[in-house]
Amino acid sequence: MSDSYIVPLQMECTLFFQMNPHAYETLDGLALRLGRTPEHLDQVLQKLVTLSILKRMGEGERAIYSYNQPDMIHVS
Amino acid sequence: MKRPVASGIAGLDYLLHGGFPAGASVLVEGAPGTGKTTLGMQFLYHGATVDKEAGIYLTFEELPEQIYEDMLAFGWDLRQLEKENLLRVICISPEILLEQMMQPEGLFEQIVREMNCRRVVIDSISLMHDGLDAESRKNVYRIRNILRKLSLTSLLLREQTDPERTEITYEHYVADGVIRLALQKHMEKYRKRTLEITKMRGTRILEGEHVYRITDKGIHLIPALSMVEDRGLRKDVSVVPTGIARLDELLCGGIASGTAFILDTNSKANYKYIMGSIFAQRLLAGERTISMVPSISTLFDSKRIMALFGVDLLEAVEQGKAYFLDHFERPAPKGFEQAVIQLNHVSDEEYHQYLDEKLGPIVNESRDKGENWFAYYDLNTMFSERGKSFVKRFFAEEVNRARAVGLTLIILCNFAEIDDETSAFLERTCNGVIRTWVDGAYQYLQVTKSPHGRMSEPLLIENIAEKPFIRLI
Ligand SMILES: Nc1ncnc2c1ncn2[C@@H]1O[C@H](COP(=O)(O)OP(=O)(O)O)[C@@H](O)[C@H]1O
Ligand SMILES: [Mg+2]
Repeated sequence: MSDSYIVPLQMECTLFFQMNPHAYETLDGLALRLGRTPEHLDQVLQKLVTLSILKRMGEGERAIYSYNQPDMIHVS
Repeated sequence: MKRPVASGIAGLDYLLHGGFPAGASVLVEGAPGTGKTTLGMQFLYHGATVDKEAGIYLTFEELPEQIYEDMLAFGWDLRQLEKENLLRVICISPEILLEQMMQPEGLFEQIVREMNCRRVVIDSISLMHDGLDAESRKNVYRIRNILRKLSLTSLLLREQTDPERTEITYEHYVADGVIRLALQKHMEKYRKRTLEITKMRGTRILEGEHVYRITDKGIHLIPALSMVEDRGLRKDVSVVPTGIARLDELLCGGIASGTAFILDTNSKANYKYIMGSIFAQRLLAGERTISMVPSISTLFDSKRIMALFGVDLLEAVEQGKAYFLDHFERPAPKGFEQAVIQLNHVSDEEYHQYLDEKLGPIVNESRDKGENWFAYYDLNTMFSERGKSFVKRFFAEEVNRARAVGLTLIILCNFAEIDDETSAFLERTCNGVIRTWVDGAYQYLQVTKSPHGRMSEPLLIENIAEKPFIRLI
């Protein structure tokens, strides 16, 4: 599988959380919202967590992803 | 009893005797498009903007971005409220929400605590169970218990799949209240929207269907006329007439204790008889009063007008029934001296404290005796003496206080002289608005907002020779 989809999907995900800053989604849940497969999204989400764009709560397939709001980073 | 939680829909609050019971979980059901989302958001928007109570909207299917956009049509800027931490539109899956609600220190509790959240809307409860097996039905019960434990007043929205059939489901038993929205055929061609309260714990409900409209300010419900009349006839002791017959009819008997009304007048309008009649009626009903002397008239004028209405103001002063606030140092009639509180040397910062010192003990002692208080403020004088931001802060606090202690407020104001944002704020915050204006050779009066959601058409004011010296036609 080529990695060329990663950057566009990354933007798609970021945009989703920017537009819906109080979304709390699992991998499967987000895949459903975006109309993508969990397989494609998994790597993208890990990347966004490393970049501190998203936060992850919990582990495994029930891990919840949420937006690290720029103006909230210093608060929490 | 705890104070009811206002729904933000005046007509509905009227039917509920003030609002939802605090901490109740109310089922709101209706077919798609009946206005459940709008009603839910109006409840949260009112909470955030008027009562300064934070709220959470939980959406499972519809995306928050769509809701932000749709609600802008009603002038509700939800993103701004989110910035102020008074609202959050949360999207989450029903399974994850339930899991997090049940988990100690879970996401739900964390957010509720962080926001000091008081109100919740779940859109929709239908998606939290499949309605079939017992375990999934228990979820509804579980959620209600969690919401109750956290003292959250909540609306559980329920999609009705078959509007022709009103099925009774498990949710109806578990909820503290049930409100049904419907879109019905009306006289062949038309459709009308109706709301019915079929259950409300701890509240005497007025049965029947009430018509509502979705307007550019959200849901506007008009209580069915027969019921309004019934209640008008009940002679609620806390409702004091204005003394102006047609106005009392429009207001279902008068002005209820604990409500705040604005009398909006343009500079040419003569409001002295309207105000005079209202004020005299409050004194005659035995209420104690505080009034602000306007910049353009004096206590000598007040005394004369009260005499016209058969009230001896000096006697009221002597009995401690009338106190006055004055921003200007000027002469007062003999015997009034100790009743006048001079505000000209009082700074904005000291204002509340100063009044508390002067009047607090008197008001508290009298409230213990069950006496009612009435206050009359001239906002235009306050605008010019203290500025806009002081007035807004003062007004919001005063309206809250009024509701909490049952103080009745009449605020005189000229909307034409203040900016739109401030007048919209004032209008939203109070319970009723009476407008009077001059157009050509005639003066008009209109009730544009009232606690029971009814508006009047513009009425002509005619001067007459006897009390109350005006008549509305
Ligand atoms: N500004 C408006 N004026 C009148 N009707 C409106 C306005 N905005 C939305 N509506 C109506 O409100 C309805 C949507 O209500 P909504 O709260 O989304 O219903 P529900 O959540 O029950 O599906 C639509 O039927 C739409 O026609
Ligand atoms: Mg909806």
